[in-house]
Amino acid sequence: MNRKRTLISDTFKVTKRRFTENTFGKPRCGEADQDGPLDMKSSLEYLMTLFPRKVFNDSLPPIVMKHQLYSLHSGKTFVDRQLNLLREQGEVMMFQLGFDADTFGLVFTADYKDKVLAGIAGTESQGTVERFLNKVVPSCTELSFNKDKMLKEFLFTDSEITLLVKCGVLTVRDAGSWWLSVPNSGKFTKYLIQGRKAVMNMVKKARYGEVLKNELEERRTTSQVKFPIKYHIYDLMGAELVESIPTTSGTLLRYVDT
Amino acid sequence: MLSFLTARRTGVDDPLRLRRAESTRRVLSLELNHNRDVARIHGNGVNSLDIEVIEGRYMLSGGADGVIVIYDLENGSRKPQYTCKAMCTVGRSSRHVHKFSVETVQWYPHDTGMFISSSFDKTMKVWDTETLKPAEVFQFEGNVYCHHMSPIARKHTLIAVGTKDPKVQLCDIKSGSRIHVLQGHRGEVLSVKWSPRYEHILATASADSRVRVWDVRRASGSLFTLDQHNGDKSKAATEAVNTAHNGRVNGLCFTADGLFLLTTGTDDRMRLWNSATGENTLVNYGKVANSSRTCLRLSVSRGCSPEFVFVPCGSSVAVYSLHTGELVTMLRGHYNNVDCCEFHPDYQELYSGGKDCNILAWVPVLRQSDIEDEETATVKGGQQAAVNPAFVDAWSSDED
Repeated sequence: MNRKRTLISDTFKVTKRRFTENTFGKPRCGEADQDGPLDMKSSLEYLMTLFPRKVFNDSLPPIVMKHQLYSLHSGKTFVDRQLNLLREQGEVMMFQLGFDADTFGLVFTADYKDKVLAGIAGTESQGTVERFLNKVVPSCTELSFNKDKMLKEFLFTDSEITLLVKCGVLTVRDAGSWWLSVPNSGKFTKYLIQGRKAVMNMVKKARYGEVLKNELEERRTTSQVKFPIKYHIYDLMGAELVESIPTTSGTLLRYVDT
Repeated sequence: MLSFLTARRTGVDDPLRLRRAESTRRVLSLELNHNRDVARIHGNGVNSLDIEVIEGRYMLSGGADGVIVIYDLENGSRKPQYTCKAMCTVGRSSRHVHKFSVETVQWYPHDTGMFISSSFDKTMKVWDTETLKPAEVFQFEGNVYCHHMSPIARKHTLIAVGTKDPKVQLCDIKSGSRIHVLQGHRGEVLSVKWSPRYEHILATASADSRVRVWDVRRASGSLFTLDQHNGDKSKAATEAVNTAHNGRVNGLCFTADGLFLLTTGTDDRMRLWNSATGENTLVNYGKVANSSRTCLRLSVSRGCSPEFVFVPCGSSVAVYSLHTGELVTMLRGHYNNVDCCEFHPDYQELYSGGKDCNILAWVPVLRQSDIEDEETATVKGGQQAAVNPAFVDAWSSDED
């Protein structure tokens, strides 16, 4: 008698899987489940609700990291493809926030436009920034621009580019090219790294270096951690900075020593 | 399963469907079996494994101590408990043994009369299997990381060699010449592989983060370089433009049909490329831990649907689904880092070797008969079935 549960390929399965069924030991996140398991936009909206607007005095649009989506959905390639669709439709924008080459931040286009315009309302650069938002943002899905593109395709002069950099919409990448960026996002990066380290330490210091995800969500966080702890947990799980192991009592997060 | 068999018998289904379904089931149930063992000869880590293509019976292994061993994988005894014996070795006592670690071994693709090994002692030796003496020795200026001979070539007998030198050397065993050189890389060449589909297409991976695909008949440079962003220059930092990985690229593997190429790099990523156009298929495998200083040997399954990739990851072998990128399982069993793995396509078995000097055989779990059935088989006088030790009569005397 074979007591072990074996991996079976789909061709041999007779019964059809129901949507709400949980795979062994891997309960789906309760909130995301209600929206329907395959909808990327609703997962994004759910993650945006975790973003604390008050910490940044409402000057930043809600930013979510791309790898947080990986912790909510099982197929990474599927997540990537859906995200590219949303980007092509112009609903979501992706940014290089200055982490390593594969880490990207996501913002809803509508939120981004609102916050940027609110930030520069009344200043002299308003016209330039508005032009930039209307011309560049809807049409291209790129993350960076170089000088020829700015001058020829979008017809911005050098001084206008300097204004855009001053406003924070563009960040210097290297001589003659710029990243698309979120204004005032420096604080976000700083708090995210701080909080990440703090939560990682919480997992590391736990007994045997591992802690159940449900239990970690209940814990109180120090004042170092500005984001709600769930935001950091998805961040760590998605970036594979902690190992997520399915168990009968839920997901277990184990510290990975790299 | 029975439905597949009936469908095949009545002709409703193509025979290939049953074969693929059963191969996939077997690969998904790979595990260590106490009945199957490989003799432990190496005194130091096992660096490379190769199973010959013709019969799938003999396996070559190259170790970090310079020793090369040939194993017989076939089960000649009638018992299920079987240790793959070492048929012959080029041990430390042989006059022609490599002085330093053997990095890559490969059987001659057309028969087992010859095999080729390359090592850190800056030589590549072509051995005669019968006498275990090298028929030809190629000397190089730098450490040889890897070599590969095309498995399907009929028009040429070239061996591509990747060394510390950025130039890829092509050695011809028919004439002994080594004048053909492929220039283009800027760092040491860590891995080379010929395409299993076209005999003139070669892929090379280098420490300068680039993977180049060459047609050896062409006099000018490479056909194309693999670009992880597919030409989208905006995504990367400017130095990383046109690179396959954000670190050294140390693993290359073509799929069995030659249509896709897998690369692994020290940026802990594995990427799947369309080998004809060089386009990144953007399949996301997640973090594939990779800290190997030399070539990482991965293996792809053959004849299954979906295909699986076996990647050595730390001290276990990770099994990923090829086109969806999800991690199917981790095969744990080694005591130390795993260096190489090789898939046996006929029996759907996986052999993996590592720094703990063991070669482990991962065998598909067969449909086990129940314990009651085994007992009745032995009562009926079958000597073949291994008796469960709990039922062995250990105290009554034989003279009765």
